[in-house]
Amino acid sequence: MIVERDVVVVGGGPAGLTAAARLASAGLTVTILDEQPELGGQYYRRPAPEVARRWGDHRREGGELIAEARAAGVECRPGHLVWGLADDGRTLLAEDAAGSPVRLRGRAIVLATGAYERAFPFPGWQLPGVTTPGFAQHLAASDHTPVGERVVLAGSGPFLLPVACSLLALGVKVAGIAEAGTPYRLGRRALGALRHPARLRELAGYVARLARARVPIWQGTVVLRADGRDRVSAVTLAAAARPGLAVRTVEVDALCVGYGFRPQTDLARMLGCEVVTDAATGDAIPVTDAAGRSSRPDVYVVGEAAGIGGAHLAKARGLAAAHAILTRETGHPTPPAEARALARLGHFTALTDALYPSPAQLLDLLLPALPDSTLACRCESVTVGEIRAEATGDVNAAKARTRAGMGPCQGRVCGFAVAGLAGGDTVFPARVPVRPVRISTLLELAAEGETA
Amino acid sequence: MTRTATIIVDDRPVTAVAGVSLTAALVGDRRWALRRNPVDGGPRGPFCGMGVCFECEVTVDGVPSVRACLTRIRPGMRVDTGAPDDR
Amino acid sequence: MNADVVIVGAGVLGAAAAWQLARGGSRVVIFDRSAPGREGSGTTAGNLHVQAVHTRRPGQEVPLDSARFLPLQRAASDRWESVEDDLETSVELRRSGGFTIAETPDQCQELKEKHTWEAAAGIPTEVLDGDAARAALPLLGPTVAAATWCERDGYANPLKVTPAYLAAAARHGAELVPYAPVREITRRGATWRVTAGEHVVETPVVIDVAGPWLGEIAALAGIRLRMTPVAIQMHATVRAPVTLSHLVQHIGEGLSVKQVTAGNLLIGGGWPAGSLNLAGRSATSTRSLLGNVALAVRVLPFIRDLRLLRAWAGPLAATPDEMPLIGEVPGEPGFLVAGGTYAFTFAPLWGETLRRLAEGAPPPVEIADLGPDRLMTQPMTHEGRQRC
Repeated sequence: MIVERDVVVVGGGPAGLTAAARLASAGLTVTILDEQPELGGQYYRRPAPEVARRWGDHRREGGELIAEARAAGVECRPGHLVWGLADDGRTLLAEDAAGSPVRLRGRAIVLATGAYERAFPFPGWQLPGVTTPGFAQHLAASDHTPVGERVVLAGSGPFLLPVACSLLALGVKVAGIAEAGTPYRLGRRALGALRHPARLRELAGYVARLARARVPIWQGTVVLRADGRDRVSAVTLAAAARPGLAVRTVEVDALCVGYGFRPQTDLARMLGCEVVTDAATGDAIPVTDAAGRSSRPDVYVVGEAAGIGGAHLAKARGLAAAHAILTRETGHPTPPAEARALARLGHFTALTDALYPSPAQLLDLLLPALPDSTLACRCESVTVGEIRAEATGDVNAAKARTRAGMGPCQGRVCGFAVAGLAGGDTVFPARVPVRPVRISTLLELAAEGETA
Repeated sequence: MTRTATIIVDDRPVTAVAGVSLTAALVGDRRWALRRNPVDGGPRGPFCGMGVCFECEVTVDGVPSVRACLTRIRPGMRVDTGAPDDR
Repeated sequence: MNADVVIVGAGVLGAAAAWQLARGGSRVVIFDRSAPGREGSGTTAGNLHVQAVHTRRPGQEVPLDSARFLPLQRAASDRWESVEDDLETSVELRRSGGFTIAETPDQCQELKEKHTWEAAAGIPTEVLDGDAARAALPLLGPTVAAATWCERDGYANPLKVTPAYLAAAARHGAELVPYAPVREITRRGATWRVTAGEHVVETPVVIDVAGPWLGEIAALAGIRLRMTPVAIQMHATVRAPVTLSHLVQHIGEGLSVKQVTAGNLLIGGGWPAGSLNLAGRSATSTRSLLGNVALAVRVLPFIRDLRLLRAWAGPLAATPDEMPLIGEVPGEPGFLVAGGTYAFTFAPLWGETLRRLAEGAPPPVEIADLGPDRLMTQPMTHEGRQRC
């Protein structure tokens, strides 16, 4: 099947939905796709109707935005994996939930492919019950299911706080939060953030809530290891300053560790959009103008895929791209107020980021103490030591020699650590397919004849 | 009253709130080990919850390699994990 | 700095030659523009071809001269036997045998002719009709009308072979200099002067085994060789339970399928990539991906139930006549070249051959018709040389 639209939007989170709704309401034909079974992305992940009925919708505005997009006439295709690109360089190749191929062409393509969590290995991180904070958040907010009964959150970044609060709301015993940095002491940078009280108020609200529940926040603390047989049963923590030395062991039945988010840019790179490596994060960031237009004039990159900045910025970026496309398609100029709002939001993000250690600092902190026996690549079961032995400054050579990054996650989970261990490029090159794709789907596509 | 759905996991019934994700139903049943790593044989369970890590792949109604985190439960759904527990 | 031999290109040919020469007592320096073994030698499927290869990959203009090719292939195959002992490590070498299948009457006829050549070259193969082939390998699909079986067809892990050769060479004192693109090659009398990165080495022998850059490297020395490098692509499925223990190829269409040690199915057959990009990463072609995978499923229907994990492209240092290239450049004493398709299978043989040539000894197999003279065009003008 071929879908021809004015605009094809890949990714149904805040940025993609905002862009799609705006474009369709102006009369353009728009299709939005998402790999998840329902629109909303990670931020607006939809609760099951029964969960919403019984316990409420944690983000009603997400449901409203989806409804707005549908009402505006956006063709919604959840459950669609966009896995590649035809040889014409513009036809997106997707697989629907039933495994049938779908080809999509848009005069403009909006990539709102979001982000995934930045993981970092430690001994025992492969144990069942060790998860990302995002998983705990989804379980709590969308499925009303506690990730465990006694939980430690660890890693770095503001996201750990709302996750802890979501767990508290379910009655989970949050034994503590280990934050690698020291963001919650009023230092010079934190004072800078005070000038932007909305953002700080949000963080302060979480901190106050955690304090009321007597949840300790151990700052300057990292995970030394997780222990357990078939499921995690304890986590041992260390001071970030001396990351090899145990300071505390906590019994848990779930451990959620994450270091913020990485933009998901495979499709952008596959489409040939120019990317730059962000020095602080090591992430590949598509080069765009203020409206999200990439080095390819028909491709816009918005939301977290264009650089991590939170849902508000994502929506603003989605709107900016929609206006730029409308200006191009219909001649309507972008309202100037929106351009200013966009700039302001970006500023907030930079300030919040400054509170926490950068990914580059995290690598300096965590890598030296990481034991050789730790599993680095979960899929192919490759150890840190095996990668260190191939650390030639070339992440691809390390991949070829050790198989790290060759499994079904295609290096997304281990990529940050493997790049840190191997040196050189910080992301694996984007390759077709973006995710493993059913061969039966490929056969159907081949049988459709036109493959260009 | 909360509406629930019962699915069959490794031939045992598991009941969860209707329409939640399959990972939620499994975690709610304290069923964490869903597969064994093909290289080291160790137990693995859901990790990212958003379709990235492929650690929660199970067989659903005979279809192999389905990511539980991207699947919502339906009454009567048959789920086979790669690491059945002996409870 | 001085060396007995400078090798340009740390691919499988350069690595094999380095080991041969270093073991023989030569002081060897190997330059690579990048990391060793990451181009064609790292992207190849790792097949050790013993029975005749398909004569035409998709897009190939000139069919392979199988009658000429086979004895060489046989000699190369024999030399793989000792590779793991020689290198003192596993390269996952295995001889699990392979089928070359035919689907049409013409292809069946071609299989029979192939069998005749193979018999003449001393390569034992057996011709099976479709049912016999399916009885031998039940995974084969209903369109298979005939097949030849060769128990000597094999595999070695390309990601292990080149590093193993290089490590063994290093044990004998060879010096590998990665990330050192060769910038200049000049000759004064019998001495070549090779400049790579910060390094300048004087040597009586230069071995150009730079794969797709073979022509460019030769051009630095003022030698113009008509090479036709292309990019081809490979496909891997996710890991699957081990079911296919043999190599399966197609006599008439581009197909080679095998299951590697880790369990992934590797699907190739020389389908053209989207582009050959010598400066960066060659792009894959979705058209080739779909064509190659559909062909694989037709021949081996069980693949339908798997998922495709990854596609990648790699360069093939092809020659216009599809025959291997090996020998000394006429008029340029000490400048040796080796390349061409199927270099992976040929690596142990060409490694040994290059050592003999460098030592001024006769080659182990007849190579007079495989030399660079057939690919030489007019020497470049002064301006042309500067452009390189």
